[in-house]
Amino acid sequence: MSIKDLTSMAEAQVELREEINNRLLRLQNELSDYCFQCAKCTSGCEAHKLLELEPHKIMALLKRGLIDEMVNSDVIWTCMSCFKCRERCPQKVSPVDVLFALKNLAVMGGKQIPGNYTSMLQSILSMGLIQDVQEVQTRDMKTRRREDLGLPRVSKPKDASKFQMVLTKLAVEKV
Amino acid sequence: MKKYTLYPGCVMQTEQYGYELSIREVFPVLGVELVDVENFSCCGEPVKSINQLLTLYLSARNLAIAEQQGFDLFVPCSVCHFALSECKNILDNDGGMRSRVNEMLASEDLEYKGKVGVVHTVDLLYDHVGVKEIKKHVKKPLKGLKIASHYGCHLVRPSEIGRPVDSENPMKIEAVLEALGAETMDYAEKLDCCGGLLLVNLPESALTKTGQKLQAVEEHGFDGLVTVCPWCQRMFDSRQKKAGETVAAKLEVPVFYLTQLLGLAFGLDERKLGLDLNLSPVDKLKV
Amino acid sequence: MDRIGVFVCHCGVNIAATVDVDEVVDFAGKLDGVVVSKSYKYMCSDNGANLIKESIKKFKLDGVVVASCSPQMHEHTFRRVVEEAGLNPFVLEIANIREQCSWVHPDRKEATEKAKLLVKGAVAKVRLLEPLVREKVKVTPKALVVGGGIAGIQASLDLSEKGFHVYLVEKEPSIGGRMAQLDKTFPTLDCASCILTPKMMDVKNHPNIELFAYSEVVSVDGSIGNYRVKVVRKPRYVDFDKCTGCGDCVNVCRMKGKVPDEFNMNLGKRGAVYIPFPQAIPLKATIDPEQCLFLRYGKCGRSPACQDVCEAEAIDFTQREELVEFEVGVIVVATGYDLLDPSALYEYGYSRYKDVITTLELERLISSSGPTGGEIVCPSDQRKPGSVTFVLCVGSRDETVCTWCCRVGCMTALKQAYLLREHLGDDVEINICYTDIRSFGKRYEEFYRRIRGVKTNFFRGRPSEVKEKKDGLTIDVFDTMTNKLFEIKTDLVVLVPAVVPRNDSSDLGKILHVSRGADGFFLEAHPKLKPMDTFTDGIFIAGCCQGPKDIQDSVAQASGAASRAANILSKEELEAEPLIAFVDEDFCSGCATCVSVCSFNAIELMKKEDNKYVARVVEALCKGCGSCVAACPSGAMQQKGFKDDQILAVVDVLGGEA
Repeated sequence: MSIKDLTSMAEAQVELREEINNRLLRLQNELSDYCFQCAKCTSGCEAHKLLELEPHKIMALLKRGLIDEMVNSDVIWTCMSCFKCRERCPQKVSPVDVLFALKNLAVMGGKQIPGNYTSMLQSILSMGLIQDVQEVQTRDMKTRRREDLGLPRVSKPKDASKFQMVLTKLAVEKV
Repeated sequence: MKKYTLYPGCVMQTEQYGYELSIREVFPVLGVELVDVENFSCCGEPVKSINQLLTLYLSARNLAIAEQQGFDLFVPCSVCHFALSECKNILDNDGGMRSRVNEMLASEDLEYKGKVGVVHTVDLLYDHVGVKEIKKHVKKPLKGLKIASHYGCHLVRPSEIGRPVDSENPMKIEAVLEALGAETMDYAEKLDCCGGLLLVNLPESALTKTGQKLQAVEEHGFDGLVTVCPWCQRMFDSRQKKAGETVAAKLEVPVFYLTQLLGLAFGLDERKLGLDLNLSPVDKLKV
Repeated sequence: MDRIGVFVCHCGVNIAATVDVDEVVDFAGKLDGVVVSKSYKYMCSDNGANLIKESIKKFKLDGVVVASCSPQMHEHTFRRVVEEAGLNPFVLEIANIREQCSWVHPDRKEATEKAKLLVKGAVAKVRLLEPLVREKVKVTPKALVVGGGIAGIQASLDLSEKGFHVYLVEKEPSIGGRMAQLDKTFPTLDCASCILTPKMMDVKNHPNIELFAYSEVVSVDGSIGNYRVKVVRKPRYVDFDKCTGCGDCVNVCRMKGKVPDEFNMNLGKRGAVYIPFPQAIPLKATIDPEQCLFLRYGKCGRSPACQDVCEAEAIDFTQREELVEFEVGVIVVATGYDLLDPSALYEYGYSRYKDVITTLELERLISSSGPTGGEIVCPSDQRKPGSVTFVLCVGSRDETVCTWCCRVGCMTALKQAYLLREHLGDDVEINICYTDIRSFGKRYEEFYRRIRGVKTNFFRGRPSEVKEKKDGLTIDVFDTMTNKLFEIKTDLVVLVPAVVPRNDSSDLGKILHVSRGADGFFLEAHPKLKPMDTFTDGIFIAGCCQGPKDIQDSVAQASGAASRAANILSKEELEAEPLIAFVDEDFCSGCATCVSVCSFNAIELMKKEDNKYVARVVEALCKGCGSCVAACPSGAMQQKGFKDDQILAVVDVLGGEA
């Protein structure tokens, strides 16, 4: 008994599919299996025209269990998380959250993380925020610092070491 | 004075000072006192692609800190507001997940109890303060200005977790703008995305989205665009020039935070509203 | 009773696979009062029935327990069996060891123990049962049909043909319903009015049909065989007998062309006095009191123009609503459907853009008696559309709106595509965005093939939104057949909305005591075997009030409902169910709690000689629901077959105290 994709010789990754479905059930209370491929998600996808993301296809591949094909593809990183697919899905399925799960899997599996995510993550780990306080420019090209503007000190974790400890532990846990 | 704890998030307090300045100017006028708290961190939403559990934990952590103050939490950033709302939604419905998160929070002597309300600029203005109260403070009505509103994806969707505005026909910003004397108009691209969250890994595409929406706003003949989210503003305003280069168009759309327009209509000092920090041609508008 | 027989059914393996039947038989045989205990593979078979009958005679039984399936399935079978063997049919008790035991418990040992307990409880109850007598009630050989659409018309014609008097009540000024609004019908492309109006005429002319148009049912009491019905006839402000339907008043009304015309889905305008469509039955004018200047302000010009012009002197502003009462033996409900208001899906622009319309609106635009005289034009600017795009499943098969399939949307769109091609010629572009095409009926698939052949662009995908850009309406749709995103610029968007229950179906359900499903449609007694019956005896359902269906299914169901109803009307008398409430007057304090909880008006207070009040059950009205019995604070109200001591005997057994 087996079902095989003859273009890639891939077989359904049943356990991984279950793991993703359990995660969605847990976080979004939804079951991707209900998708009936009406493609309303892709018709309205903000990322589709520019980057060829096809949320309905993601759902179909997930239902087939062809997880690696998606995890190894750059296309899962094109989602703008506009949530239109989740909002308008007639079957209450949430492609945007499937994409989050797939990206998480890719990271867990050691795939290279695209763009500046890593530096953002490091900044959160070291100071609790995605970036340090910036100097900005005015319209007439003058530089302004936060403190120049009479704004209070930034709010960030008081005890950095305790904060970091939890985050490091958390990084290897599953949902 | 009604008190709210201010949750500044990352983007607003590290670069989008115009939003923070105008918020700190405008809300006291409307009888809202903002309480600053140390120890907040990122809401986690920007790194949800890397680790969802991390996002959930960071949001829960901020909610737990806010709970200690005893006031509702005012979250001006739509992305943060979404993250904290989704976190509440999960932890309030899943006891197992809540205790797991609370175990981790214990190391910082924190606990999530589910007792804090979360509000955004838009519902704070429309539902808590109310249009009637806002009108009372208008000294320089924004007469003759036709303003496009941009709600931002994270504020409108998904309705399933509870959002402060209607998911398909949000009108609260329009109501506030009209209270200020400005004109509003529905436009087909109103719910389109700014592209902001893609800036981290696909900046070209992100800026294309930004540019396309600004082009649409120009074509509809609006005098300006108003936002309520630092992520959207940093695309439409801070990066308007780059966005124009990306879509090969010269864009000249004045972009404001809603709170800046409130301040202007209230007759407050432009500098105190951080208006000099807007990089889009806001001088075009003679308010 | 102390000579009880217990008969345990295997139900093939349905019970026997999980319950040790032999053990239950042995156990039952040793219970007090039980003189014989047996099992059989299928107790409901002829052989099983004979086993029970022979045992009743041989062991001189005076009470029977059958341990088998739910009493819903076979209680009536076994009542008949014990009756045929000479016993009173009400000394029988069913122990449900299938639905409530073998089907729901996986563990054989535990299931067997529970089955034993259920049997023991049933035996304890039978020991206390008393023989009951079924009263006979006369049947009123008349029928009420609610709703004058095609289903109600068909049911009325069938019942009247069988010789029964029919009261047909229609809310609107004319019968005809939704079908009268349609231009042509799929898949045969018959003209809807051409096939409907002859039936409407038959209704008008049939001596057995009494038509109450522009009337509503306001109350229904009684039970099967004898329902008392109250109907309100709304004032037309036009003398029904004098009006000739000439239409002179319609032409001179000062509000002419100012009132949205509901028959034309508000695409056209009518006056305050109107006849909804040329073939209306009855062909009488009606004055809309919300719109008539004279009725609203007491003044209409120098004098009302309608009155001035009416040669028959039929206009009568003094008319009041009229309450009519009658009795019937049965009721057929055929109140039809509404279309979902597509503004529920804001993204499709229905409420915002004039040129986004529904299929029913397009139907009126195609119809030669419609607001444009059959000219198909865009509502915004009356221009002929160069491109028309259908969006299917608007709100249908959608967990956030209507979960069900509307069953007519695909075929309606295909039919309209054909009619558009016919009316607008070769140049018009026709696009259909669909999720699945469901062409399931007889000759439907052939029709679908035919439409594919008339230059129709099928896009297999659901649009996310309809936008109005400066060059017109735009739809982005991802087509899963070509795997491409298409942008469709189009002049007219036709939404195919979900089919939903009538907005007043909840009120009518309460008046009739007919239950509704979670979807809001009236609920059939069994989805397969009693599709036209309701849970209220003597009330039947037909057409779309029971669920979405096409015309052919509606007509078939209406004839079926009429036939089911005739089964009752053709009997002179019925046997009433004896399992109803009764009052022990010695305990009754006359507090009237029972009166307030009874949904069937079956309890009245009666003054006794000592001037004290006691409750009395009107046996013909009581349905045996038990509400009053549970509510009675003194225990005076009891239910035959379910008296307190009889139920408590079972409770004691199940609670382990006996």
